[in-house]
Amino acid sequence: MGSTDERVVAVIMVGGPTKGTRFRPLSLNIPKPLFPLAGQPMVHHPISACKKIPNLAQIFLIGFYDEREFALYVSSISNELRVPVRYLREDKPHGSAGGLYNFRDLIMEDSPSHIFLLNCDVCCSFPLPEMLESHRRYGGMGTILVIKVSAESANQFGELVADPATNELLHYTEKPETFVSDRINCGVYIFTPDIFTAIQGVSTQRKDRANLRRLSSFDALDSTTRNLPTDFVRLDQDILSPLAGKKQFYTYETMDFWEQIKTPGMSLKCSALYLAQFRFTSPNLLASGDGTKSAAISGDVYIHPSAKVHPTAKIGPNVSISANARIGAGARLISCIILDDVEIKENAVVIHAIVGWKSSIGRWSRVQASGDYNAKLGITILGEAVSVEDEVVVVNSIVLPNKTLNVSVQEEIIL
Amino acid sequence: MKALILVGGFGTRLRPLTLSFPKPLVDFANKPMILHQIEALEAIGVSEVVLAINYQPEVMLNFLKDLEAKLGIKITCSQETEPLGTAGPLALARDKLIDDSGEPFFVLNSDVISEYPLKEMIAFHKHHGREASIMVTKVDEPSKYGVVVMEESTGEVEKFVEKPKLFVGNKINAGIYLLNPSVLDRIELRPTSIEKEVFPKIAAEKRLYAMVLPGFWMDVGQPRDYITGLRLYLDSLKKKSPSKLAAGSHIVGNVIVDETVKIGEGCLIGPDVAIGSGCVVESGVRLSRYTVMRGVRIKKHACISSSIIGWHSTVGQWARLENMTILGEDVHVCDEIYSNGGVVLPHKEIKSNIWKPEIVM
Repeated sequence: MGSTDERVVAVIMVGGPTKGTRFRPLSLNIPKPLFPLAGQPMVHHPISACKKIPNLAQIFLIGFYDEREFALYVSSISNELRVPVRYLREDKPHGSAGGLYNFRDLIMEDSPSHIFLLNCDVCCSFPLPEMLESHRRYGGMGTILVIKVSAESANQFGELVADPATNELLHYTEKPETFVSDRINCGVYIFTPDIFTAIQGVSTQRKDRANLRRLSSFDALDSTTRNLPTDFVRLDQDILSPLAGKKQFYTYETMDFWEQIKTPGMSLKCSALYLAQFRFTSPNLLASGDGTKSAAISGDVYIHPSAKVHPTAKIGPNVSISANARIGAGARLISCIILDDVEIKENAVVIHAIVGWKSSIGRWSRVQASGDYNAKLGITILGEAVSVEDEVVVVNSIVLPNKTLNVSVQEEIIL
Repeated sequence: MKALILVGGFGTRLRPLTLSFPKPLVDFANKPMILHQIEALEAIGVSEVVLAINYQPEVMLNFLKDLEAKLGIKITCSQETEPLGTAGPLALARDKLIDDSGEPFFVLNSDVISEYPLKEMIAFHKHHGREASIMVTKVDEPSKYGVVVMEESTGEVEKFVEKPKLFVGNKINAGIYLLNPSVLDRIELRPTSIEKEVFPKIAAEKRLYAMVLPGFWMDVGQPRDYITGLRLYLDSLKKKSPSKLAAGSHIVGNVIVDETVKIGEGCLIGPDVAIGSGCVVESGVRLSRYTVMRGVRIKKHACISSSIIGWHSTVGQWARLENMTILGEDVHVCDEIYSNGGVVLPHKEIKSNIWKPEIVM
């Protein structure tokens, strides 16, 4: 058990605008971390999970976005959760570990005994208090959340090998070409402050090598790091890989769900995962109804209190409806995210889609997709203020903001 | 004299270019589109231009502040809070357009590029002495547009026919009007169409006249027409001020190159090419029928035709771009890449070939 004045801080990496173009077209209107999943901004889910950590002192969000984009959110969430949340902007890329090091003075302000590092675009159950307990038992510099995946898909991630008895990290390799392990890095870590010393060590080592290169043109020096600036330190390749097997890092395996939210299609899948989780953690957030006084609800559905849904509509499963949306009589919604101020008119059908802010879906129109989260056009996405006229069918398509569709489309991207 | 330029819209047909700048500020022949119209108005002595806008006013206003200082013409904005169609903005800007002089005012459509024979239009308007004049232009396929049926010798307009199925005439509305202040009394402040509601009424009273536009006309609202429009514009420039066009052994046909551009050895540029300020064209490059915005670098031996390259992009060595390839702002095409009609959104890197026309987000 830790002593009661052992404070913990959490750092959430939120990325930046020009980096993640895979989240277009939704990221054209909103920073990805603020896109809602199951009715709450993406970054809200790791933040709420952090709230469960005992003695949590502060939460830092680190990213490349302009401070203005996060100012409102950060101030309202600090008030709501009664924990200080700060957004720190990186001026240039420092790598996944370099970013942490860059702000070490602020992070260590309250002299925390432990630092959590999470990636904002990870969707999982965030078992942070359990990770903290295990980490204390192991006594290493850091503990990494891992999950078992299928052998075929493992090479898209960082693969780890851990000692089955002690859970020590024995080997780490990023996106290997041959099979190493089916346990992968979830992008959630806990460290003790000596992580900063390790990161600084990498910087210094690289600086020394650079100096050496200047003295002698010795080509045998590591060509992969030759072009990296000395303060650019990657957590996976520069810290975890070299220090694996040296009793510094340990692993904690989660048996729950885990996904990466890289594309709009995945955001729909992850919204469904969080909705399913609500059924256990906060069932009062989910909607219910049987079609008599309020709309018939099937499966996990979230409806914002200000949204209006006609009693003859049928909603679900896996539907999330945001503020001020209006769902008309006889509408049918399955597996979709309906964003703020959307109007869905009578008898419209929406299946496997994301409908952007202020859009309008006409009477008897149909907005649908195959539902393949990984395909480029597997989820139909309508950007902000798109208008689908009456009786029009939109299938497996992506429509950029401010367009009006008065003819049906299939398999198209509409700029 | 005053003028109103209808800017309106989101410019979605000119995406991905309009994802970086509002449409009137997208460069055409090395000048923001709207500058072509403002300069034509200033040249005939218009003292105040009102821009009717409803999208990204801050970006427009910043640009205009710089412009006002340079040109010595007063530029103001009239901002729609809801889309008012093609006539409503005139009612909104009423106070700015009417003064005690009772002079007529111009209304221009910002998507249109033409020779702007505005002096001739003023003379035409005075000659018939009625309420409103519009420019019309002859097109090959009138049923794509709204046809203006007029009496050929006097120019008196009989009626408007929207997308006619049978041939009724081959002149369409060119989007340039000269109106007496009394026209404003006919327009209510609500979404209104000038072609469907206002002009037909004036025509019925025999007070609307049409002048056939001499010279070229193009609606450059979408990329394909933008490239055709460039050809027409450069043709016209050759006749009027040939000194503005580039010359040299490496130039073929009509080419306009900003003076800050650096061009390497062994290039062949043209016909119908516009190269914006700050661009660098390395040696051995072939460019034809194409526009490149400001700050672009084209590396050695690349070959580009019928394409538009957005601001601050780069095209790699031996790359080949053709068939309406459109690159948004800050797009980087790697060496040796082939793009056949790729449309690429801003801030992307193209590392693999694009074999057939597709959109890269």
